[in-house]
Amino acid sequence: MTIVLVLGFLLYSSWPLIAQQGVAFIVGSEWYPFESLFGMLPALVGTLWAVALALMIALPCGVAAAILSAELLPARLRNPLRFSMELMAGVPSVVYGLLGIWVLLPLLESQLNLLTGRTLLAAGLLLALMILPTIMVLAEDALRGVRQSQREAAKNLGLGWNATLCRVLLPQAWPGIRVATLLASGRAMGETVAVMLVVGSIDRIPEPFYNFLQPAQTLTSRIGREMAEASVGSQHWAALLFCGLLLAVIAIVVSLAAHRKASVVV
Amino acid sequence: MPRYENFDDAINCKEATTRATTARSTIFCHGENLDGGTMFQGKRSVLSLAVFLLGIFSGSLHAALMIKVVGSTTVLPVVAEAAKQYRLMHPELRLTVSGGGSGVGVASIERGSVDIGMVSRPLSRFEIERLGNTIEVIAVARDAVAIAVSKAVFESGVQRLSLAQIAAVYRGEIRNWRELGGMDAAILVIDKEASRGTRHVFASVVLGNARARAPGATIITGSNNEEQAVISQSDQAIGMLSNAWLNDRVRAIAVGEGEAALLPTAENVAQGRYLIQRDLNILVPKNSSAAVMDFVGFLRSEKGQSIAEMVGFHPVR
Repeated sequence: MTIVLVLGFLLYSSWPLIAQQGVAFIVGSEWYPFESLFGMLPALVGTLWAVALALMIALPCGVAAAILSAELLPARLRNPLRFSMELMAGVPSVVYGLLGIWVLLPLLESQLNLLTGRTLLAAGLLLALMILPTIMVLAEDALRGVRQSQREAAKNLGLGWNATLCRVLLPQAWPGIRVATLLASGRAMGETVAVMLVVGSIDRIPEPFYNFLQPAQTLTSRIGREMAEASVGSQHWAALLFCGLLLAVIAIVVSLAAHRKASVVV
Repeated sequence: MPRYENFDDAINCKEATTRATTARSTIFCHGENLDGGTMFQGKRSVLSLAVFLLGIFSGSLHAALMIKVVGSTTVLPVVAEAAKQYRLMHPELRLTVSGGGSGVGVASIERGSVDIGMVSRPLSRFEIERLGNTIEVIAVARDAVAIAVSKAVFESGVQRLSLAQIAAVYRGEIRNWRELGGMDAAILVIDKEASRGTRHVFASVVLGNARARAPGATIITGSNNEEQAVISQSDQAIGMLSNAWLNDRVRAIAVGEGEAALLPTAENVAQGRYLIQRDLNILVPKNSSAAVMDFVGFLRSEKGQSIAEMVGFHPVR
């Protein structure tokens, strides 16, 4: 119900733009509000890149940490690990953003010899840090949810630890890990402040498009930077709300996917 | 977008102004601070919630005694410092001053959500058409837009540029400091958000149009503080910055043709010889309350103008 209201509001508010320009601007590559150019492609590409980078980093690390915590560590060490992850999840995003500015950006600049550290990579790294706890905690729950009898059966079959992990534990925990991934990608997609501070905020598709060492723009950082200045009811305002609509639609598609896949297996 | 310049001048210690993504909201914390730990513990939480809501409610009742100022981060230090001094004389008054940019200042005054808007540029023709009848534009200080470069660039020999050279950099025709007489290093070209007053003034003088595109830009920043941080962190940056934000790591270069190039010094600005300068304005509705008008009068007074000088600008009187 709330979802319907939110979507309805976003659609209603961005309607002036759709009525005037159709929906072709979604794939336009130029964003110049003053010239009535509202191309969404740069920010869309930027958003997808940032989320993809974050997942590429956080997923292996998170699952590895979950395996460590659920399967290898004694309870004495497990609890502090899990507790620290939960703490990490509670750190406000602006703190990550400031950390990014003062630690990550200079590091990227000097290590990769970049003109500026404000790049998609910086955004991806920060987002990875932010979604790591989600992935780790949920994946650990999924692993611990695997029945003890399964482990014993694997042992009785003479499977080594590697085989047990890859053939028994991970496949069984996979639905949970998948949900964790989808939830985390939703979080990464919607994150605003931390990304805004490190992404460079320039509305340009990286050249070539896979060059994540260039500054870019995400949908959220654009909304964050421009919303306050757009006068209510203007085309610019409508375009920013349309960015919100795009985000909401992507997020809903993602969570629907998570829901369906999960319920099939369970 | 809580940029870290957001040192909202919380002049009344009981109140904190936070900027959320889309709007500024003022939270009034009357009475004691709410203890987060007790928030969800039965009766006490209900009580603290009630106190909190009461605080919000009584806050809105006090609105008549409160002046909200929002807008340009360039004008902000003048008004914030003046507000601090003004409150010593009028302790019953509450003043909040927060940033966001000139575009936000205009939009907020248009929405009627603030008492005074701050704008670091002249109003555009369209804005005058929309607001000219109801809003008064009052200059409170004069400022130069400095062309700021990183210290390393300055020391490598780039100490003056012509308007045409600066334009070429922002159009992407010049991409290396070597072409401007400096070291062999790419130029980190910093542009500002399109709604920022500093950008309007810069773009209309250098690029010929307040809304001109800058295809040579590498990244986009918002407030003066954000841009200052980028320039000082880099060794290759150029940007447009209010005079008051220059420091050892962020140096101004002379602007103009050959020997006629001038630095944005107090003298050059006062005589109107520096090429990129503007008035720092506030927007005040014509039907403002006496309290607001009195504060505006203070900004324009000798005391107010000396405050403007103290924070790094030039007086308008």
